[in-house]
Amino acid sequence: MDKEQVLKDLCEAVIEGDDVKAVELSNKAVELGLAPLTVVKEAIQPAMDIVGDRFQEGEAFLPELIVAGDAATASLDVLLEQLSGEDSAAAKKGTVLLGVMFGDNHDIGKNLVQAVLSANGFKVIDLGVNVAPKAFIEAAAKENADIIASSTLITTSLPYQREMIELLKAMGKREDYFVILGGGPVTPEWTQKIGADGYGRDAKDAANLCNKLVSGDYKPGLDEPIIENALKSK
Amino acid sequence: MQGRPDIIEILRRAHTGEYCSPKDWDIKKVNKSVREVLQKYQLEKTCDQENPINTDFDLADKFYQAGFELALRLGYYVEDTERIITVSQEELENAIKFAPSELFVGEGKDGTWIKARTPADPYPTKVAASLGITVSEDIYLDLVTGIAKEREIDILEAGSVTTVKGQEVLSGTPFETIMGWEHAKMQREARRRAGRPGMGAIGSISAVTELGQFGAYGTPGGFRTSDLALILFPSEMKVDYRTLNKVVHTLIMGGMIKADSPSMIGGMAGPPEGAVVANVACTILSYAILQNHVGGGEIYDVRYLSNVNREGLWALAMVNQALSRNTHLLLHNIANEVSGPVTDKLLYEIAAGMATLACSGASLSTGPRTAGGKLNDYITPLECRFVAEVAHKTSAMEPKVVNEIVKELLPLYEADIKTPDVGLPYQRAYDMATHTPTKEWEDIYRRVKDEVISMGIPLDTF
Repeated sequence: MDKEQVLKDLCEAVIEGDDVKAVELSNKAVELGLAPLTVVKEAIQPAMDIVGDRFQEGEAFLPELIVAGDAATASLDVLLEQLSGEDSAAAKKGTVLLGVMFGDNHDIGKNLVQAVLSANGFKVIDLGVNVAPKAFIEAAAKENADIIASSTLITTSLPYQREMIELLKAMGKREDYFVILGGGPVTPEWTQKIGADGYGRDAKDAANLCNKLVSGDYKPGLDEPIIENALKSK
Repeated sequence: MQGRPDIIEILRRAHTGEYCSPKDWDIKKVNKSVREVLQKYQLEKTCDQENPINTDFDLADKFYQAGFELALRLGYYVEDTERIITVSQEELENAIKFAPSELFVGEGKDGTWIKARTPADPYPTKVAASLGITVSEDIYLDLVTGIAKEREIDILEAGSVTTVKGQEVLSGTPFETIMGWEHAKMQREARRRAGRPGMGAIGSISAVTELGQFGAYGTPGGFRTSDLALILFPSEMKVDYRTLNKVVHTLIMGGMIKADSPSMIGGMAGPPEGAVVANVACTILSYAILQNHVGGGEIYDVRYLSNVNREGLWALAMVNQALSRNTHLLLHNIANEVSGPVTDKLLYEIAAGMATLACSGASLSTGPRTAGGKLNDYITPLECRFVAEVAHKTSAMEPKVVNEIVKELLPLYEADIKTPDVGLPYQRAYDMATHTPTKEWEDIYRRVKDEVISMGIPLDTF
């Protein structure tokens, strides 16, 4: 099997969500001497783009996004082992800690964001639903997260997002993590008001937002949050 | 009711049913099973975007059969225990058979009968308005009274508050119990002020956990047991102890349950066809597992956070046709608009959504979700009136006729669904001294009303 074929098959395996095959082909790519960053750029990223486009077109759905994200993560785990510290850092987009805020058990939007972020090359730690503010912070420290992403669909859970940021400040950790928000009642105004770093209306926005935060010169605790896709008023 | 597992047995199954991890449930159980039944019943790629309102009733019946099979294969997943509640075919059939086919909501002359319907049924779908859009506490009573005053509206749901006496409310705390009670009392007062004290209601939308319900439902001055208790699911084919706590509480109070089962186009069930099958399954299972009186729910398209796009309307029409033609259940559904007050697009979206539900056999239709329900105070009584007007007047219309109207309506708003104009909040859409629509909003309403009349929706003229 030549290098070009391996890249093509790996891309296909990620699209199909075949994590076993993705790992096998990633190992093969390493054996053939392909640079891990080349594999990411020419196989994994294109695969993720294709799945994302299919989702937007209504040709792929949340399960396909999830399994493609899992396959991409499995492949990245193999490839990143081969890299030196500096290259590994360059290849990793970052770790996103994701959860639905305390008091809320709705998980569909969160699952969608998890899948889209994974498909965009982020390591996503999914804390699930009904997550207390302190649990976000403890998990962020444990996982060495770059971004804490919290969502809620119900208005009475919104105050906990502010509580999490206040707790981060009180613990002297606000500059350790970007904090981004999403969910039905969350607005750009709320994001600004509580001092979060960014807001997105849907899963694609969340990916755009995370990409901007990790690739720019931003530091957590932005004076002005980054707003993706705000609703417009008359 | 006979032959249906009682709530004690359901709670036992919630603890002793088959174990399944959340991911295996979503991917290996739900997604795989939906794919298999779609294939078995040859329902794949049947969504017709060019004709959003289905006119092939045999196809609707096949969706029902597929949904019934899916319900038996899957059951409900219990998030707290990670176990599955399943029911037997006999239990499911009996739950459907002995479910009520009519229900009186409210009291006396202000109350209303919700009845089982079929597509184009002359008995109209009943309308609850509005969905749970957040409203500032200082204008809440005036705004909700304004909604209750709209005589076309049959049942009050109306907006939700986020503060109680100026205090921010925290989910999962006693604040929520207090909020539930305060919300319920304000709803009673709004109905009294509107001159409709016996009007039925749905509650409590301000505090959607069991704590909110404990404060709101059956409490002194709160929602009466002649109102509907709102039981929401965490997501499709999933329940949790919050859901079950609310069921148990409502049953103890001797009340009536409205269970809203969601499905997502693009979600775990996949394409529009999968969302329909999952929604049929989720709806009929609720009668066996949650003991509800009114069921059905919402199908949304996760890409648009709406259901008034082509795929969404097709799915709404199909699921209501499937269920209404094959059961006598009291079916509820929602049209989820995205544009806001003082825009014509909001009214076009309402017309398309409500006509779809009404002609397809829904017994109870709730709306609007103005501005996607996302923005504080972006709701006015005027669009609530329009929701009810359209729903009532399109109930008896044949789906093939409504299909042609919807095809005229869609081009008027569909390009902007992703980036809607959210319009203006109540404070700018209404005169705050008289609580009447501004001239601009009234003029838009009158113009669009004339337009939809010319399209064939027989609304009363001014």
